[in-house]
Amino acid sequence: MSITMNMDIYAINDLDFSEYTTTTSSDTHTSDDDHGCNWNHWSPIVNWDALTGDQNCFHGLIDSLMDDVATAGVNISPINHLDACNSPSIISEEITTTTDDITNSACKEEAAAGTTGDVDINGLKLIHLMMAAAEALSGENKSRELARVILVRLKELVSPTHGTNMERLAAYFTEALQGLLDGTGGAHNNKHYNYGSSGTHREDNHHRHQTEMVGAFQLLQEMSPYVKFSHFTSNQAIVEAVANERRVHIVDYDIMEGIQWASLLEAFASNKNGLPAPYLRITALSRTGTGRRSIATVQETGRRLTAFAASLGQPFSFHHCRLDSDETFRSSSLKLVRGEALVFNCMLHLPHLTYRAPNSIASFLNGAKSLKPKLITLAEEEVVPVISHEAGFVGRFMNSLNHYSALYDSLEAGFPMQNRARALVEKVFFGPRIASSVSQLYWMSEEDEERGSWVKWLGAAGFRGVPISSANQCQARLLLGLFNDGYGVKEFESNKLVLDWKSRPLLSVSVWTSSSESDS
Amino acid sequence: MERMFPPKKPSTMNSHDRPMCVQGDSGLVLTTDPKPRLRWTVELHERFVDAVTQLGGPDKATPKTIMRVMGVKGLTLYHLKSHLQKFRLGKQPHKEFNDHSIKDGMRASALELQRNTASSSAMIGRNMNEMQIEVQRRLHEQLEVQKHLQLRIEAQGKYMQSILEKAYQTLAGENMATAATNMKGMVPHQGIIDMGVMKEFGSPLNFSSFQDLDIFGGDQLDLQPNMEKPPLDGFMPINENLCLGKKRPNPYSGSGKSPLIWSDDLRLQDLGTASSCLGPQDDPFKGDQIQLAPASMDRGTEIDQISDMYDTKPSPYGDEKKFDASMKFERPSPRRTPLQAERMSPMISTGSMAQGRSSPFG
Repeated sequence: MSITMNMDIYAINDLDFSEYTTTTSSDTHTSDDDHGCNWNHWSPIVNWDALTGDQNCFHGLIDSLMDDVATAGVNISPINHLDACNSPSIISEEITTTTDDITNSACKEEAAAGTTGDVDINGLKLIHLMMAAAEALSGENKSRELARVILVRLKELVSPTHGTNMERLAAYFTEALQGLLDGTGGAHNNKHYNYGSSGTHREDNHHRHQTEMVGAFQLLQEMSPYVKFSHFTSNQAIVEAVANERRVHIVDYDIMEGIQWASLLEAFASNKNGLPAPYLRITALSRTGTGRRSIATVQETGRRLTAFAASLGQPFSFHHCRLDSDETFRSSSLKLVRGEALVFNCMLHLPHLTYRAPNSIASFLNGAKSLKPKLITLAEEEVVPVISHEAGFVGRFMNSLNHYSALYDSLEAGFPMQNRARALVEKVFFGPRIASSVSQLYWMSEEDEERGSWVKWLGAAGFRGVPISSANQCQARLLLGLFNDGYGVKEFESNKLVLDWKSRPLLSVSVWTSSSESDS
Repeated sequence: MERMFPPKKPSTMNSHDRPMCVQGDSGLVLTTDPKPRLRWTVELHERFVDAVTQLGGPDKATPKTIMRVMGVKGLTLYHLKSHLQKFRLGKQPHKEFNDHSIKDGMRASALELQRNTASSSAMIGRNMNEMQIEVQRRLHEQLEVQKHLQLRIEAQGKYMQSILEKAYQTLAGENMATAATNMKGMVPHQGIIDMGVMKEFGSPLNFSSFQDLDIFGGDQLDLQPNMEKPPLDGFMPINENLCLGKKRPNPYSGSGKSPLIWSDDLRLQDLGTASSCLGPQDDPFKGDQIQLAPASMDRGTEIDQISDMYDTKPSPYGDEKKFDASMKFERPSPRRTPLQAERMSPMISTGSMAQGRSSPFG
């Protein structure tokens, strides 16, 4: 019985897969309407109404889905425990019936509303399973056993490299949840990096990974505007703020390969206002760690930036400043020179960046409070709450899922056919990010939750917003014009630009100052 | 120079005579002209407006009725007629006017209308001018921003290139022991292909904003100038099209007018999408993106060498199917193999070096 069931489900999946691709490709450039009932705006609570608008048969489907979730959670367990022989045949029949229901409904749906129906169904099913797993891992009715069973079930349904956006995304979220269950999940969890490789040659893999990482980064940059939008908008704000300065000192919270500064160096060097280019000093914060996190990487970045600046004839020097072992920033460890315009640059959680602990970020921004820089540039994820009444981990988990599904959708539009390229970007960046993000959300303190966004924090900490110039907004719009349709940019409270995908905010850049004078 | 209206003037307002002024007279301010000109003070005008309103609006009110309602001494039909005309035309005549030449109200208003029209069209003209200036200013700003953006993107591209090179060098160094000579050329070659692939995926996409403004001509394709190197031409027909934007009109401006053919299984998926202009990415280099992970390279016999080199390593990808399909080159160039050496030519240098500069950042 159980075997039949599994086969049924795989059959459905295969069907979905082939059909999904055609559907999506016709969706990508047209309207939000079609996407509306795709993953984009899904939310198990909100979207049901939307779905049922003209497709009443969804009601039945959703009911059966709920059954399926329940079944998966409770009844499948014996089967997966390999005591299928002992399990009452009634249960198995029940499962089969449910599956049949889905199949039948899916067929009906297909006839009625084209091919999107079953894709939605599968997506919804996954969402419900993940939600159930998240519920099982938290709250009052915690049940690790239930969570374990649901995750086993989920893993049968998803793969990080195959299937629809939701299926691939669900694979990473499933892994993240599994990490929580096993207690291995954490902000510094690196195991995803080795995903799919055997690990026989460790050193070799490390370099391969580096190469992969760089390649994925390049792909990400070419395919989506996230990184350039954040960097260019911040840089333009910096250029404007220090227009009359002779010495500029930028403290960068998370420099990585230093790609942000290439365009700033260029802007400084090609500045044609008659003044000599200002002297630029960059201090990168470095962390103890290995690979991309290591001090060696930061030093390498310094060498590269120095060489790049030299090629442009831009006066430049590079320093790094070690964070404490818990990644907290002490402003006293920063070497400051009188007469330098100080800029704090804080790019948080762009897709290619590692997840940073709130305490570390807070320590950096607190440093800004005491050192009173001329400018603070902040980029951060915009997570829109979809389920406001769902408090705690489950709600946060769903918001996060929602956020990443929008990212996945936008990426898919940017890499329409490059499943493998996309899979690489997903594997290298999103997998680890999702893992640490989920873990972060799981262990999040009330304090963290109340704090909300860092924009809010900066506002509350007494920093003053610096309006984003029209040239800067123009630049952002032009930049987005270079990418596929669907991205947009909106201004909020004059000092924040939000990059959105089909009107769903993805990330924002905001510009602040601590000086009280109003001449900036 | 002004004097009070002489009280001796015949008054026609007796019936509604109301004291309007504390000065004991009408409060009118007249000039000393033989034909006394009236200064329409704010106060007086307000009274006039009240009267007109009371009479049902400027169209119903006549000078006579207004004169009666206002009941201001010294105010004549002559004054009121002019004032009413102006009022009807929406003017707020606070300054003196001289219309003694106008006899006919209709004609006057026609003239007035004409004058008004003329002036308002002049105003529109002025506005148009201002708007044009504004539009031009914005365009200019946009051009400036575009120029800067272009330079910044290029700078970022160069910098990215240096990161890629470094990574491949490291990887190459890693493999030196096994295949020192081939690696040297080959590894950077991957870098180039990768870049080419990326370019094909992404950069030529919607440059509409730049195209529309026709600022950069074909240059907008040039996000990664390094890709334009002649050495690529021979073995990368696609890149030739895509990357030599400087020399040709953008082949994608017509969206989907790509001279290149879609390959195989992916064709259906993407027809009709906005990004169908991506077509070419499907040909020879479709598969190359995965060279980011060299182990999964399997580009057919031509690169057996390469494959061999990596054969010992496990593929990080489970699925080779898609990849295999894309191996069907649309334009298998007979020169591919002979050119391999060249293709592998050290793109460590990438564009900048080829252009004779010594700095990797050009």
